[in-house]
Amino acid sequence: MVGASSRIDSSRPQPMNLEERPAIKIADLSLSFGPNLQVLDKVSLSAKPGEFVSIVGPSGCGKTTILNLLAGLVQVPYAGSISILDRPPQLGSQDVAYMLARDCMIPWRDAIGNASFGLQIRGTPKRERLSRASALLEQVGLAGFEHTLPKQLSHGMRQRCALARTFALNSSVLLMDEPFGALDAQTKLQLEDVLVDLWQAERRTVIFITHDIGEAIALSDRVIVMSGRPGRIISDTIIPLPRPRSVRELQKDPLFHEIYAHVWGMLEDGWRGGNVAKS
Amino acid sequence: MSRNPNAYCGFLLMLIAHAILLVGFLGSWEYATALGIIDPTFFGRPSQIGSFLVNGFVHGTKLWGELAWTFAGTICAFLLGSIAAIITGFLFVSSPWLERFLNPYLSALNAMPRIALAPLFILWFGLGLGSKVAVGVTLTYFVVLASATAGIRGVSQDHVVLMNTLGAKPYQLFWRITLPNAVPVMFSGLRLGLIYALLGVVGTEIIASQHGIGQQLSYFASMFNMSGVMGLLFVLAMVASVINLALSRIEEFLRRWQ
Repeated sequence: MVGASSRIDSSRPQPMNLEERPAIKIADLSLSFGPNLQVLDKVSLSAKPGEFVSIVGPSGCGKTTILNLLAGLVQVPYAGSISILDRPPQLGSQDVAYMLARDCMIPWRDAIGNASFGLQIRGTPKRERLSRASALLEQVGLAGFEHTLPKQLSHGMRQRCALARTFALNSSVLLMDEPFGALDAQTKLQLEDVLVDLWQAERRTVIFITHDIGEAIALSDRVIVMSGRPGRIISDTIIPLPRPRSVRELQKDPLFHEIYAHVWGMLEDGWRGGNVAKS
Repeated sequence: MSRNPNAYCGFLLMLIAHAILLVGFLGSWEYATALGIIDPTFFGRPSQIGSFLVNGFVHGTKLWGELAWTFAGTICAFLLGSIAAIITGFLFVSSPWLERFLNPYLSALNAMPRIALAPLFILWFGLGLGSKVAVGVTLTYFVVLASATAGIRGVSQDHVVLMNTLGAKPYQLFWRITLPNAVPVMFSGLRLGLIYALLGVVGTEIIASQHGIGQQLSYFASMFNMSGVMGLLFVLAMVASVINLALSRIEEFLRRWQ
């Protein structure tokens, strides 16, 4: 790992860029569910506007809890501070779009009805939301399936449609909770490329939760590794891969594998109980 | 529409079998009456039933008018009863406490033979449509309530999370997710509810009324006009079948996404 450490920058805590205000800022966040179950322990992280940040960690490390706090879905007292675009998290905020591992398709709506659903709920006029949704369906590779019902779409296609629904919203912050966790390896690679293309076309701040290190590296600008419960941040690695990227091309890139080994090492250190990163 | 020849033959055969059965049944009935084996005073006579229906529906408008009263009563009872049941179902799902609290009362009312309320409702709401609708509502309400509650409770938590993160208002959640999601489960109750609404309306018409198929039925029975009674029973069977068919079509349309 000697060669890697010179190029891959991993540090904790990460340096704050003072010139740009972070889109998301979490400082010293600690959270317990009850007296004996500490979920998060002094977690600090931030994301710049338009930055793609992934959080990886073993299951139960609280990464989904962080996302749910950002979305305003969990209303529990916590220590520390959370802000999105300088405001505290607010459930249903127009600034935030949320995407789950399950596609959440509405079975009685066709693909375009699902893709435009978020916009409809947020009050976008019909003509505008349909044109936006159909443009996005085309971008995710579902052109021609506008009037197909979810039951006739494959899992991958449904998740493409969910991506279209998420990106159709004009929220500047996207929170994604293992959106491809339920897909097979091939479909997953395809969907990751769709996501990279969508994001590269229109950069938004993304917090992406996954347990797949390869996925996190291929998609992100930064990968944050968390330890098991209570969740702490072990490392914060800037991914030096150039953009625009193609996830499938990256699979053959030696630098990609070098970073993979590096981040994997971080995660293993976390399992051994070492919670300070070694570079 | 292309039908495969085998299926077409089967369909034709079925049709012929039906024709044979009906012609045979009605023919032997008519013949037996003519021979005096069956007393038309008690069983009517197919030819007279036929002329009764033709007189009422083709040569005059009398039966259409009566049918309209019964039909209007049924539809009103069905709509009021099922809307009330859906609202109650929604309240029950929002507040399980309320459901537990009201459950003993509702069970008692549901167990009661509702047609027994007819004399009371006739006193309260008069001989017109009101008393029929009232009895129909009490029947429809309970039948729809159980299935509406089950349907509304069946909403997916993922959809609720999605709606919450989108910032949906409670009415949006209800109209866009909860209600359409409940339709398939609710429909079995709605189908039965409509038949029960018809039952309540016709039953009350028989007890006391100025109009309606039920009122005509009890009138002809008291006059020993059995052909009239049989004819009206046939009309009621037709009405119920048409209602059922219409509901099946609507259900098919509403469930096409499943």
